[in-house]
Amino acid sequence: MGGDRAPAIRVRELRRTFRVAEREAGLAASVRSLVRRTHRDVEAVAGVSFDVAHGEVVGFLGANGAGKTTTLKMLSGLLHPTSGEVAVLGCTPARREREFLRQITLVMGNRNQLQWDIPAADSFEMNRAIYRIPDAEFRRNRDELVELLEIGDLVRKPVRNLSLGERMKAETAAALLHRPQVLFLDEPTIGLDVTAQKRIRAFLAEYNRRTGASILMTSHYMADVQALCSRVVVIDAGQVLYDGGLRALTTRFAAHQTITVGLPEGAVDLSGYGEVVESTPDGRTSLRVPKAQASAVAARLLAAHRVSDLTIEDPPIEDVIEQVFASRPAPTAPVTR
Amino acid sequence: MGAASRRDAQARDLRALGLVATFLRVGVQTELQYRANVVFSALQSLVAVATSLAVLGLVFSHTDSLGGWSGNELLVVMGVYVLMGGVIRSVVQPNMQQLMADVQHGTLDFVLTKPADGQLLVSARRFQLWQAVDVVLGAVLVVVAVVRLDRPVGVGAVLGFLAALGLGAVTIYSFWLLLTIGAFWIVRVDSLVDLFDGMYQAGRWPVSVYPGWLRIGFTFLVPLAFAITVPAQALTGRASGWLLLGAAAFTAVLFTLTRALWRVGLRHYSGASA
Repeated sequence: MGGDRAPAIRVRELRRTFRVAEREAGLAASVRSLVRRTHRDVEAVAGVSFDVAHGEVVGFLGANGAGKTTTLKMLSGLLHPTSGEVAVLGCTPARREREFLRQITLVMGNRNQLQWDIPAADSFEMNRAIYRIPDAEFRRNRDELVELLEIGDLVRKPVRNLSLGERMKAETAAALLHRPQVLFLDEPTIGLDVTAQKRIRAFLAEYNRRTGASILMTSHYMADVQALCSRVVVIDAGQVLYDGGLRALTTRFAAHQTITVGLPEGAVDLSGYGEVVESTPDGRTSLRVPKAQASAVAARLLAAHRVSDLTIEDPPIEDVIEQVFASRPAPTAPVTR
Repeated sequence: MGAASRRDAQARDLRALGLVATFLRVGVQTELQYRANVVFSALQSLVAVATSLAVLGLVFSHTDSLGGWSGNELLVVMGVYVLMGGVIRSVVQPNMQQLMADVQHGTLDFVLTKPADGQLLVSARRFQLWQAVDVVLGAVLVVVAVVRLDRPVGVGAVLGFLAALGLGAVTIYSFWLLLTIGAFWIVRVDSLVDLFDGMYQAGRWPVSVYPGWLRIGFTFLVPLAFAITVPAQALTGRASGWLLLGAAAFTAVLFTLTRALWRVGLRHYSGASA
């Protein structure tokens, strides 16, 4: 996509410093801090650069406090950067121009924007007025979202009576009524059961396909990332650790692979070949071996035993991400806001 | 300022009105679901008014005038007090409480990422219809009082009254918003509503019955004078054009102040000033 068009999101050397009051625990320290407060500058985002092309879905990964939410807030105009450049659809988010705000949306899985005591349909109506969506377009968008998310009967119930999964679907619909071109999703599936997660995931993929919108999303569920994102940006301690394809991330950071062999003769001690992760009585054994040696070990196994089946697998993406973080020195006192 | 930008401004005002109208409609729809509330609200209001009337009757069984106000004139004050209380509880207070909750829960972010004036959004989202029972009740009291007044009330007085009432509502709204924004820097905000209610109680009497220092306080610090006494003065022919002009100027200043403080608050929120 895009060709030589400017990217939908362009971030260069983005920094954000927070000034936090510092005091030690205890009454004496509390009293002391009333008189003289000591401050410390904490760099929540420390020089982040990346682009997101039009129509691209990018996973934004990192541990708690890595600077993900702070970055999303700067991208959606809620926080001013301390320094660096941000352009979203050619606009500077911090100016919070209406033209810009009309084209973006922000969804935060752990905070709801629908009013608690009124039906979602009424909140939709309020958003129609706020975004000044023409009537016909509003009805079309609403009906499409309601159908895709399967929330037909739910939008008439007060939001307080909805389950978490139902509410999140309604939240998502409300956030997309104005057909934004850029979506900032902060943990859009947090706390949902597997079915609801899948539903939201499938929906987001469909929305992206239909509208060509760009999506930047954070999630702790790797299934979200694997299902939706062709590319991931991994940050830690406010800096980009990795920016590229999900597969390439595994290739680069996974030091080990898992070889699973099935032996018809039953359980055999294979610890000579590598670290035994799992061994079942019916003769299936999983071995963790350094990636560079995986094919050689497999060849030796095949030569030495009667093998009914053998697979070589990359580790689960969660483990890879863990590996990425482990390759960095521990961050100092992360702070988010 | 060219014609084009004036047209732009007009279009913006119209859109803002449309937005408020939609919010109001949704608010009414919501409240209609809780029809039982109207009974409670009405009952509560009637008891409060009956108590106030009893006190008023008691006072005037001993004297003919209080601070230069006759019994029926004070009934006008009480009517305005009840009416304005209804406006506060149905529109101002629910919105300000929602604003406080949004700041505490971090959901103000959703307001600030909307392509509309943030102050307008936080001020017009909520509408508690049944609390507006007091607006009707207050209006009835005012009409009864005017009928009992032994002198005709001219069209000018009525227009002045309505104008003063509108200004008073804006004044009270501005005061509440200043209090809400200011509270974030100073104290926890949970008790703000009780604090305001306590002070508002004083408005059932015209500010002229209070000693000088309190009168000044109720005029400029807690603008009860402009919200309640001035409209009552306008209707009972006690307000000069200058007083109304003064009320308009005060309202304008206070409202401008809310705009300024809202902007400062936002800059603080987004850390632009940090």
